[in-house]
Amino acid sequence: MQNRPTIVAVGRTKFGEHYGKEPEKLIEEAWLAASNECSLERKDLEACYMSDCFLPITNKLGLEEGFLSELTELHVPMEVTRSFSAALLTACHAIQAGVYNTVLVGGIEKMTDRWDKIRDDLMLLEDPWSYFAGGTPEANHELLLRAYIKKHHITGENLEKLNVALAQVSVKNHANATKNKYAQYHRPITVDQVLHARKTAHKPLGMYDFAPISDGASALILTSEVAAKKRCDKPIYVLACSSATDYLNYTARDDLAHFVAAELAMKKAVQMAGTTISDIQVIEVNDQSTMMELVSLEDLGFIEPGTSWKNIHESYQNNKNFYEVNGKHLFVNTDGGLKADGNPVGATGGAQIFEIYRQLKGQAEARQVSFVNGSPKTGCVSEFEGFGTKAYVTILGEKKD
Amino acid sequence: MSSEPIERRVSYLGDRLRASQCQSCGKEYFEVRDYCSNCGRKSYGKMDSIDLFYDKGKLELCTFINEPTNKFMKFQNFVYGIISFHNGKIRVPGRITDQIIADGKDIDLASLEGREVVPRFRRRYSVGKSEVVPTISLAFTLADEYYPHQEYRITAPNKEYELPGVVGYGVYASRFRIKEAGLERAVPFVDEDSVTAAVEAGKLALIHSGVDNSLVGKVYVGSESNPYSVKPIASKVAQVLKLGEEDGDIQGVDAVDTEFACKAATSIFKDACALVSYPRSGIKYAMAIGADNSQAAPRGCPGGELDTFVGYGGAAFIFGKNDVIAQMEGWYSCTSDTPDFWRRDGEPFPMHGGRFTGDPAYFKHVRKATSKLMERLKLKASDIGYFVAHQPNPQFPVRIAKELGFKEEQYLPGIMINKFGNTYSGCVPLSLAAVLDVAKPEELILVGSYGSGAGSDAYLLRTTSQLIDKRKQQKANVRFQAENPFIEYVDYQTYRRLKIGM
Repeated sequence: MQNRPTIVAVGRTKFGEHYGKEPEKLIEEAWLAASNECSLERKDLEACYMSDCFLPITNKLGLEEGFLSELTELHVPMEVTRSFSAALLTACHAIQAGVYNTVLVGGIEKMTDRWDKIRDDLMLLEDPWSYFAGGTPEANHELLLRAYIKKHHITGENLEKLNVALAQVSVKNHANATKNKYAQYHRPITVDQVLHARKTAHKPLGMYDFAPISDGASALILTSEVAAKKRCDKPIYVLACSSATDYLNYTARDDLAHFVAAELAMKKAVQMAGTTISDIQVIEVNDQSTMMELVSLEDLGFIEPGTSWKNIHESYQNNKNFYEVNGKHLFVNTDGGLKADGNPVGATGGAQIFEIYRQLKGQAEARQVSFVNGSPKTGCVSEFEGFGTKAYVTILGEKKD
Repeated sequence: MSSEPIERRVSYLGDRLRASQCQSCGKEYFEVRDYCSNCGRKSYGKMDSIDLFYDKGKLELCTFINEPTNKFMKFQNFVYGIISFHNGKIRVPGRITDQIIADGKDIDLASLEGREVVPRFRRRYSVGKSEVVPTISLAFTLADEYYPHQEYRITAPNKEYELPGVVGYGVYASRFRIKEAGLERAVPFVDEDSVTAAVEAGKLALIHSGVDNSLVGKVYVGSESNPYSVKPIASKVAQVLKLGEEDGDIQGVDAVDTEFACKAATSIFKDACALVSYPRSGIKYAMAIGADNSQAAPRGCPGGELDTFVGYGGAAFIFGKNDVIAQMEGWYSCTSDTPDFWRRDGEPFPMHGGRFTGDPAYFKHVRKATSKLMERLKLKASDIGYFVAHQPNPQFPVRIAKELGFKEEQYLPGIMINKFGNTYSGCVPLSLAAVLDVAKPEELILVGSYGSGAGSDAYLLRTTSQLIDKRKQQKANVRFQAENPFIEYVDYQTYRRLKIGM
């Protein structure tokens, strides 16, 4: 990648319910944290890229660029996308093209202001026909699970293991979140709790299998390589940033058992980064449900399709906080993932980048992952918009030439 | 595409389950498409439209929903999944309807997957009282349960009759019943109303008659429970069943709703016959539908006495001069301004004139119309094979039949109130269908409808030999629905909940 975009600082708010805070207060908090970290002044910003998925619906805010302009007292170009990864992708293109040297990328969401209607909104926007037919946001994840079971002929004891593996994903994410001060939940849970929730709901997936609705904001400062050197000692490079799309209507897709968009985005990203999948040591996947974490590991190429439940199950038996795949350690969702860290849709991607950035810089405190030669060198983030309709993959790392 | 406001305004896409197929590569798409994404712009304008409305699908994957989105709350618990047509070439999302699933029940999803399903025309979800009622056919029932799958095969007519008459009919009742005091009454599922019953009955009439839907030039719907004060049921029927010549999203058909309490549908049988006989009408077939989610106030409230007898359902009759199964030999109608039963605009339930609904109303009018017709046609009761009268309760039809000199074997086949309840505008049409289900060729059927307000229409029909030929085209006849093993009985509370609907 020419003229590599570089992250020099990150910031975020705690995820959860921010009852009394206006959306702009949240983004202010995240932006101040990021700018403070790299001693950046507002006037240094040449453009802002912001993301939110629902603000026009949840908070009746239509022109988000306006309050960002007011907040920063800037008149620079600003654009709004629907996901943090999309904002980052656009910002990277601008830096690479040499248009700007220093930009702000931010994400924000305030879903709890419409908690009573948000599932209808989510479903209608992500898959209208399924919504018209009665589908819920959770139903699609359960159908994905049913499709996965059928496609890979998982029965009997193996099916039991798969179900337990899904519970273990949630347990692992909750355990990770206890070490993350920004996370929505700091409460460890057990496999039995996850299974019990499914049982009382009489459904394939239960309350502990799904990410919550959340409020929150995240931000980062993206610069050109040259500008980065003035801002910090050890910048983290965006080695690749790619995306792919799929049909809006989940049922119309050829293969219902996984997300082809994620697979395509990852292939492109790996190529762009000039790296290999085995170089990637820390991963943030978009676990809107435990099923999504499981299937993402396969779509991103870390585990053979149809087998990730085995790796999860075995790793958990051995009391490890990573998944062991062919002797390699995969650290996944060290911040607690969407499940426990929270999922304020427009800001979620920012929190995922935040985590990988901290891990690569060795700043992840109690969550820090370390290898023989220190902190991890390469990490990746996968994010979705909709139910697998848009997939983004971002690979971060130290510069390799 | 699937824009919510447009889909709400022009809901014929989801109503009919239309799809497209590429002429060159054969790829199929749910929704109407101008070109194929495989073949690109060379396929522009070369897409065939295909129809899943009369098709049968397979429930490929499913899950259980017990915390629906807000608009689906009234459904409580239901099975939802992915339905595939044409061996998986087209997949659509779908809700399995007509199932009351108690809280706390475990559903064996694997045992449902792979089963055949049939699309049903239903309400889509709840909306506010002032909004347009959205409908959809992404609701399905299991094909081996109450509603069987029936193929729609258009057949070229081979005989023209001198007199017009019934060419085919369809009867639609719900799967649910309430059983009280020896009476079984049909109860709509929560997503059913008079509109959905009218469409489903019309669909079954097309299937039974084999009539080409594009040759139906007029459709009448008689109902007293239209969810709208202003907006016809008939327009929905015309659009969904594609009656008349199709031109884009507009149908070359005349559609109108009629209202005259319980005789709204029977009143127009003669109009339908006249229309198809008028040499310059250019109309080969006319469809007359009577359908009601019969309204009644809850017991104990004013008008609540009706709550013991009301049912749900309807029947559609196609009239024409080709391949007639029962010729229309004559009619007589009478009317007087007698307010024995009424519902003011804006009121949810009708009021009832108590003891004044018998002698001065029902009996006076039915007696007048039927005896006048018999007199005109010089017929005695013994010349007639079957007698069908309106059934506001189980006693009235028996009393009038006896008074006119009919014996049990003549009037019992046409009494359906004990199986479906009083289906208001659908009552006489449904009961006439029950008689046509069992009659032999060359038999006379006398019909005496009644509409409060008040009036009666008497008709005389003579069956033909084609009555027998067409029976094999109808699996879901009246008896099939009255004695179906998949009928589910509900208690009074559930009955009221379902009847009020969404």
